[in-house]
Amino acid sequence: METLYQSLVAVEPLTLIATICNLFVQMFIVKKFFLDKILAVLDQRRQAADKQISEAETARQEALDIKKTYEQNMLQANQQANEILANAQKTAVERSEKIIKDAQQQASQIKSKASADIAMEKKKAINEAKNEISGLAMAIASKVVERELDEKDQSGLIDRFIDELGEQA
Amino acid sequence: MEMSINGAKYLAQFELPILGTVNLTQTVVVSWLVMIIISALCVWLGSGLKVTGISRKQAVAEMAVTSLVKFVHDNMGTNFDHYIPLVGTIFVTSVVSNLISLLGIWSPTADLMTELGWALVVFVLITYHKIKSSGIGGYLKGFLDPIFVMAPINVMSELFTPISMACRHFGNILSGTVISALIYGALTAASYGLMNLLGSSVFAALGTAAMGIILFFFGKTKKKKALKVVGIILAVLGVLALVSLVGIQFPWLTIGIPAITSFYFDWFGGCIQAFIFCTLTTIFIKQAAG
Repeated sequence: METLYQSLVAVEPLTLIATICNLFVQMFIVKKFFLDKILAVLDQRRQAADKQISEAETARQEALDIKKTYEQNMLQANQQANEILANAQKTAVERSEKIIKDAQQQASQIKSKASADIAMEKKKAINEAKNEISGLAMAIASKVVERELDEKDQSGLIDRFIDELGEQA
Repeated sequence: MEMSINGAKYLAQFELPILGTVNLTQTVVVSWLVMIIISALCVWLGSGLKVTGISRKQAVAEMAVTSLVKFVHDNMGTNFDHYIPLVGTIFVTSVVSNLISLLGIWSPTADLMTELGWALVVFVLITYHKIKSSGIGGYLKGFLDPIFVMAPINVMSELFTPISMACRHFGNILSGTVISALIYGALTAASYGLMNLLGSSVFAALGTAAMGIILFFFGKTKKKKALKVVGIILAVLGVLALVSLVGIQFPWLTIGIPAITSFYFDWFGGCIQAFIFCTLTTIFIKQAAG
């Protein structure tokens, strides 16, 4: 059989229809077996990447929260420490003031007691001196007056005399 | 010498009910072969996919899909994702059809009917989007723009969209085929002419070979590449002339040299025409959709 060629530009209905059919069949195959599969994989990967990014974001947020809590705790601890220190200082000051006050009180008590003692001693000494002087005066008087007097009247008389003397003094 | 450039071979003839007598041509058979190649490639590339730790094969496949999606998005925006398979299919079918000629097989894209089929599909889509965006009344009214006298020209410009798309692709592939045939013929003629000249006597052949060898060693001692290359060429020509003197005739120059022109006309032209066709497809559909 002789080999026949079509001319360079020829209209062949079968070729045209076959080409169009081929295109659609080919498109279906390319879509079904290649494009859809690859696009699905790309989509999965994108989703996985998105998930990882959001997870990382969550983790970062959590870390930030933890940091914030930690900083707050630190701040509170600092405040507490300061309070404790201030309290301690206050207590110390109060206590020292109290001690000083107590000491002063005690000192003044001792002082007043001492002065009372001194006064008493003084009074005692004066009384003794009065007694001595009354004895002396009585002896002098008995000698001077040479008059026997009742012991009781005598001592009352002499006491009055000394008091008057003391007041004048 | 005689040279002939023909269309596709007729392989069989049928009587079909509506179409009448139709011819099964080489184009149809090779387009099936192209389909089988592409389908096998798709199944191979689309198998064993993983989300992490992907193979080199999958990386290539993903890169191809990503660039296809990017191409469609760049030209059409993101509202036409359902045309990604169409654009990708036309591109890959066109490239494989163009490059199959490198294997010495008839290229289906060297038949206008192939491109016309694709262009008609695109034309239907363009018309669909035009009617969809402006209504059937608006679409028909568009032909009367700017005045009704322009109607015939508008109709023609509409119809010539697919024809120009088809003819651009077809013409480039055909020109590649024609130029390849011309270069092949010219090289064959030049080859025989050169062999006849050099092989006219034993002395001419031997002299050429000897000169080539001397030039080669001279270039080697002087460390000059150009001399070495010229020497090798002359030596080979001399030896080939001796072979042809023995009686073995062969167009030696057609080995290797056509590959250089084929690089442009088949590889570059083939890929760029597929790219242009797809670019026009996307842009026309986008324009039609408004």
